[in-house]
Amino acid sequence: MRQTAAALLQALARRDLAAASRILTDVLPVRLSPATVPYVLISPFVLLFLVFSLFPLVFSLYLAFHVWEPTDGLAAMTYVGIDNFRFALGDDWFWKSLGNTVWMALASGVPQHLVAIPLACFLNSGLGRGRDLAVGVFFLPYITSTVAIAILFSSLFSTDYGLINLALAHLHGIPLLGTLLPAQPVDWMGRPENIKPAISLIVFWRYLGFNVVLYLAALQTIPGDLYEAARMDGAGWFRQFWFITLPSLRPMLFFAVTLSVIGGLQLFEEPFILTGGKGGSDQAGMSTAIYLYRTAFDFNDFGAASAMSWLLFFLVAGLTYATNRAFRPRAGSQ
Amino acid sequence: MGQVTLRGIGKRYGSTEVIRGIDLEVQDGEFMVFVGPSGCGKSTTLRMIAGLESITAGELLIDGKVVNTLHPAARGTAMVFQSYALYPHMTVAENMGFALRMAGIGAAERARQVGRAAEILRITELLARFPRELSGGQRQRVAIGRAIVRKPSVFLFDEPLSNLDAALRVDMRIELTRLHADLGTTMIYVTHDQVEAMTMGDRIAIFHEGRLAQVGAPLDLYHRPANTFVAGFLGAPRINLIDCPSAHHALWQQWLQCQADRPSAGRAAPSRLGVRPEHLQVVPVGSGVPATVVMAEHLGDCSILHVQVAGIAGLFNLKSVRDSGTFAAGTLIGIAADAASVLAFDADGRRLA
Repeated sequence: MRQTAAALLQALARRDLAAASRILTDVLPVRLSPATVPYVLISPFVLLFLVFSLFPLVFSLYLAFHVWEPTDGLAAMTYVGIDNFRFALGDDWFWKSLGNTVWMALASGVPQHLVAIPLACFLNSGLGRGRDLAVGVFFLPYITSTVAIAILFSSLFSTDYGLINLALAHLHGIPLLGTLLPAQPVDWMGRPENIKPAISLIVFWRYLGFNVVLYLAALQTIPGDLYEAARMDGAGWFRQFWFITLPSLRPMLFFAVTLSVIGGLQLFEEPFILTGGKGGSDQAGMSTAIYLYRTAFDFNDFGAASAMSWLLFFLVAGLTYATNRAFRPRAGSQ
Repeated sequence: MGQVTLRGIGKRYGSTEVIRGIDLEVQDGEFMVFVGPSGCGKSTTLRMIAGLESITAGELLIDGKVVNTLHPAARGTAMVFQSYALYPHMTVAENMGFALRMAGIGAAERARQVGRAAEILRITELLARFPRELSGGQRQRVAIGRAIVRKPSVFLFDEPLSNLDAALRVDMRIELTRLHADLGTTMIYVTHDQVEAMTMGDRIAIFHEGRLAQVGAPLDLYHRPANTFVAGFLGAPRINLIDCPSAHHALWQQWLQCQADRPSAGRAAPSRLGVRPEHLQVVPVGSGVPATVVMAEHLGDCSILHVQVAGIAGLFNLKSVRDSGTFAAGTLIGIAADAASVLAFDADGRRLA
């Protein structure tokens, strides 16, 4: 089997389709002409793509215009035109979930970049050999399971026994600073006004390292003599950062902000686990993705959920385009 | 003004000493070329003058003022980098005006000064373009323009032509020489290309292992090299050198005789003799020292012959203007050095006369 595979790869490397067809005909029950060999070979990917990517996409668009009771089978679909969209746009909870999503996307996304860029600059210039270790430490949350992170932060944010409230209680004892901090333990996950900041903090913490890695990679491609030329031209460190580093980071900034926009608007796992899948008290932590999940699987309204997912898609697409307009490099410079 | 004085300038990285005490006076308005093989310290010295490298020993003076610790931008120097180092996200005009902008000069005055520098370099039509839209030669001009705009008292060039193709290099060489004549500003120019050094410099400083091997006018250095390193570095093909053979050898005797003809010939006995390829002549077999042609390179205007002399290891180069094309490998010829053309060196490689 392995020899057959090796022979097949060699034949393909030579672009010898006739030889490839002979090898495949030996092991397959059907005869393959050389012209069909490429299609047979890419069929596993195409099939998976069709079943798991393209079909759900088309089906959700189809569903968005129908009312469907899934337990009654495919025959139970009724065409309703744009009623699902009308429902979604008139639904208070949908708008509330969108508001929550934008709030958390901004509160977790903006600081990610504002912190990641200076941090990447510092790691790039200041650490030398310890850099790889530091990058690894910052990157660790990104590759950690969301469930593990959610459990960890549930414990940290715990009202009576959490480390965060413990720390706040200690700081409260300090004169002046203490007066700014709450005297009572904060109910992080229970009170509506605390849920979004807590979730945003986790999301910020989780994706910071990923952005640092992106910016660090971009920083390492900036030629050192640009900084030397800027020094000769009389630019201090801040103006070197402003006039050389930031413009050079612009393509990566565009890429990273786009990822943040897409990821932030599709926020699901962190609030889902931290709020027990319901969105928290007063739905304060309910993102649009959670709401459309609940619409489908808790309220059994697949049509409305599909319509909402398409509305969310158009929002993501629009904001990605806006990001492109804002961050794309000046014409001619790239 | 733009007088640069180096007094015992040294540079060490940890325990490695890369510049070992450079003393040099570059006059106001002079075109000084730093030349030498890779790793000789010429670029490091230039970067110390620019302020991009710290100076670990000695004093650097510009117009009589010690500037060892002065910020690069405050030294009155402008540098043209080998890679051009143009800011890729700025237009040509913004690149050239960047130093003025950093100095707080207003947009209108910036545009005026950039425009004038662009006229000098004939790149006015490029001002709105970005660096990546320019050819190598155009980028080079912009880099020079960026330096001109700062009105420096000293221009520093770090191998500025080495990224250009051969034809463009010749054009830019001439253009830079003309620019120097027009501006009259001191220029210090680093290169590893001896043709650039010979053709552009008022004076050449030859670097060798972190020291100055010799400083002087190009032809002085060519005809009166201080030592075997300078003699070998300048001139292509390389000078032919032979050590004093243990046994009596006809070639040594012949060259010794020619060296004695030099009016300045000293008394000391040389331990090495050198003859440049253009001073070795082909003579009929029997009248000179016999030699065998190993390879002949016919360049059209001249031929370069690589010949083997029995009893001496290594090949000799001859540059022959006449009879080109008639020599093939294996031809037996006689060679003879021109009278008064032989350079003599002592055991340490220093020229005797």
